Amino acid sequence: MSLVPNESLPGTRPSRALFANGALMAGVFYVVLYGVYAAYDPGALSLATFTDLMNNAAPLALAAAGQTIVVLTRGFDLSLAGTISIVSVFMAVFPMEDAGGGAASFAACLAIGGAIGAVSGLLVAFRGIQSIAATLGVMIVCQGIALLILNAPGGAVAEWVSYEMTDVVFGFAPASGLVVLAFALAWLLLRKTDLGLSLYAIGADEGAAGLSGVPVARRRFWAYVLAGACYGAAGFMLSAQTATGDPNAGMPFLLLSFASVALGGTSLTGGQGGVVGSLIGACVLMLMQKVLFAAGVSSFYIGASQGALLILAILFGRLVSRAASSGDAK
Amino acid sequence: MDASSERQPMLAISGLSKAYGSTVALEHVSIEIGTGEVHALLGENGAGKSTFVKSLTGVVRPDSGVMTLAGAVYAPRSILEARSRGVVAAFQELSLVPNLSVAQNFFLPRSLKHWGLNSRLRMEEKAAEILRRWGGDIPVRQTIERLTLAQRQQIELIRALERRPDLLILDEPTAALTDPGWLFEAIAERASAGGAILYISHRLAEIRQVAQRATVLRNGRSSGALRLAEASDQDIFLAMVGRSSARSGRPTPSARRSDACRLVVNDLRARNVDGVSFELREGEVLGVAALEGQGQRELFRALAGEEKQTAGQIVVEDRLQSFSCPRDALKAPGGIAFVPEERKTEGIFASLPVASNITLPRLSKLSVAGVISPTRERKAARDAAAKLDLGQRYLPFRIGALSGGNQQKAIIARALMTGAKTLLLFDPSRGIDVGTKETIYAAIRSFADRGGSVLVYSSEIPELISLVDRCLVLYRSRVVASLANAEMEEDTMMALLTGNPASASGEIGAQS
Repeated sequence: MSLVPNESLPGTRPSRALFANGALMAGVFYVVLYGVYAAYDPGALSLATFTDLMNNAAPLALAAAGQTIVVLTRGFDLSLAGTISIVSVFMAVFPMEDAGGGAASFAACLAIGGAIGAVSGLLVAFRGIQSIAATLGVMIVCQGIALLILNAPGGAVAEWVSYEMTDVVFGFAPASGLVVLAFALAWLLLRKTDLGLSLYAIGADEGAAGLSGVPVARRRFWAYVLAGACYGAAGFMLSAQTATGDPNAGMPFLLLSFASVALGGTSLTGGQGGVVGSLIGACVLMLMQKVLFAAGVSSFYIGASQGALLILAILFGRLVSRAASSGDAK
Repeated sequence: MDASSERQPMLAISGLSKAYGSTVALEHVSIEIGTGEVHALLGENGAGKSTFVKSLTGVVRPDSGVMTLAGAVYAPRSILEARSRGVVAAFQELSLVPNLSVAQNFFLPRSLKHWGLNSRLRMEEKAAEILRRWGGDIPVRQTIERLTLAQRQQIELIRALERRPDLLILDEPTAALTDPGWLFEAIAERASAGGAILYISHRLAEIRQVAQRATVLRNGRSSGALRLAEASDQDIFLAMVGRSSARSGRPTPSARRSDACRLVVNDLRARNVDGVSFELREGEVLGVAALEGQGQRELFRALAGEEKQTAGQIVVEDRLQSFSCPRDALKAPGGIAFVPEERKTEGIFASLPVASNITLPRLSKLSVAGVISPTRERKAARDAAAKLDLGQRYLPFRIGALSGGNQQKAIIARALMTGAKTLLLFDPSRGIDVGTKETIYAAIRSFADRGGSVLVYSSEIPELISLVDRCLVLYRSRVVASLANAEMEEDTMMALLTGNPASASGEIGAQS
């Protein structure tokens, strides 16, 4: 007995589907851009330069990972900027030396981020406030608190942190390894756990997810907490690089985090995409700065170029996926 | 005395009430369902059926009332708690998540694990095994959004049935199914295993086939249980709508019927449309009958400018047209307005009031110097709503808050509002109740009486027979027959629909 009259469904062709995949697109962009970089600066092809680049991209990549988690649930998280700022001043005002101190600082950064995320999560998931409004409020409060702790750039991050987290050992930066590890964990969490799956489900159709038994509010709450912890980690890596604190350190990351998410192919309307794309997206944006610098372009042009790149990448991605889907229809 | 009520009832509810603000959705509803009983729940749209289902499944908490399940107090606070107590629902709006695969949907919210992590492979194997057992050939790796409505409904039903619940709630389970025979077998099996089934449907014939007793909801209040064997259709209809029924039989041709062609389609080709030709005259209601997926959806979309036409001609009022978007179709002389099937996603602006939803296409005519005149808008909306018997009190509400039938009325009112002379209606009565259907049919006929032309697809043949002047039968993307109303008989048409004209008893009209 057949339930359905046979119906030809458009077949998914893996090769084409892969090309329409945002992460891969961003990867292609990265390779092309790296080629341009190498043309200007032959030193670009050394492992040390590459890991150095990865180190530079680490804070933005981690911030973008957090943003991705929230965007997948069809939300926007502006509290990112406030969290990074607070962590930045925290690291500079309360430095803790040695490996133990470093680990303690890191744990504290995650906790600060998680706590701020919990506030946003409570407001959005349990009080039903629109994410952009709730997190805007949280961001402004956090910016204010950061200024109370440290009213101007200054202070000093523990030497152990700023030294070890930016060091290159045997031509390889351990900090980059940590970032890769963090991304592997985030990927597992999103793709291989019920929490991750339900975030995709909530982003696509909240009502259906609820009727399927997904505890929507609780899961959404955890999305913000996890995202907050990512911002905490991003602030930690940033402090290691700048070695001082800045009460406005988070602001530049706010819009770039969205740019990374979009470049990496995650849909800003939720339910589609992933952290790996955002990681590559963040790397593309940071590499772009390097390339422009190597090409001798004034740094005033960096912002405009990043924006133009973002738009180009999205248009190109659309073109490819449209070509892929019209191929499917045949 | 009823055999099923002698045993301990599986579910007993008394005095259940629920109000949203000042709107009373349920008022002292009482119902009793025995073990092994299939109990039907009937009611018009807005009668409180969906609130009732939501109360039973823990989605909403009733304000008062007592529910007992298998003798124990039952007050679920979440859908998971309801599930753990053995109460499972297949929802009318379908609770499948569109971006996840069939297999992933099957196991929501707890996926099958391998070493503590979700295992796509295990879920796909298990889901494929389950679907094989049910005889379906739906690919388990496909995402839900790529399935047809009928396939989605099957998944929703199988997912619920597989949990072998003590109380199974089926809300309009056959709305999108073409052949529900397997479902009826499954229901009988569940009942004989001691499960209770609450069966919600608008289709009386179907209810008589599966259920023994029925409860009618009207304006949030419940009737006592009716024994279906003793109640006539007329009794039930009366209990549902509080007035007596039911225009049946055949339509009378419109007064303004003429031989002039409003729409001529010649060898039209598009995705899944393979050389379709027909003529639609002024004042004519032309039906389209087809099983799921025979190209009817694409045909309507192509005529409305939503699907690309690859070959052939569309001639509207003697002028050759080619539409690249629905606006083209609307603006063409004569105008073609399309009312799609998925109102939830394609038809309505959920957050706008009903009145604005209706008047949208004519805003420029209702504006003074570019600013909408509220009095004119209100009057226009009132006039349009009156034609479809849509209560005026609904006009200021957000349309998303209305029941399905009332939404459909509003959308058809909007289509009439455009001033288009051709209406394309795709399954206009899907999932709406008898009373609303009658109103919608009447509106369609009166539109034709005023010289309008209608092309209407319906999944229900009796509906077409009582509504249309002529009917096209689509099979495998082609028109296989064109029947005048007098030639339309259910058995003949079933044979044509399934591609067996040889076994058809009646005579088949030549294609016009």
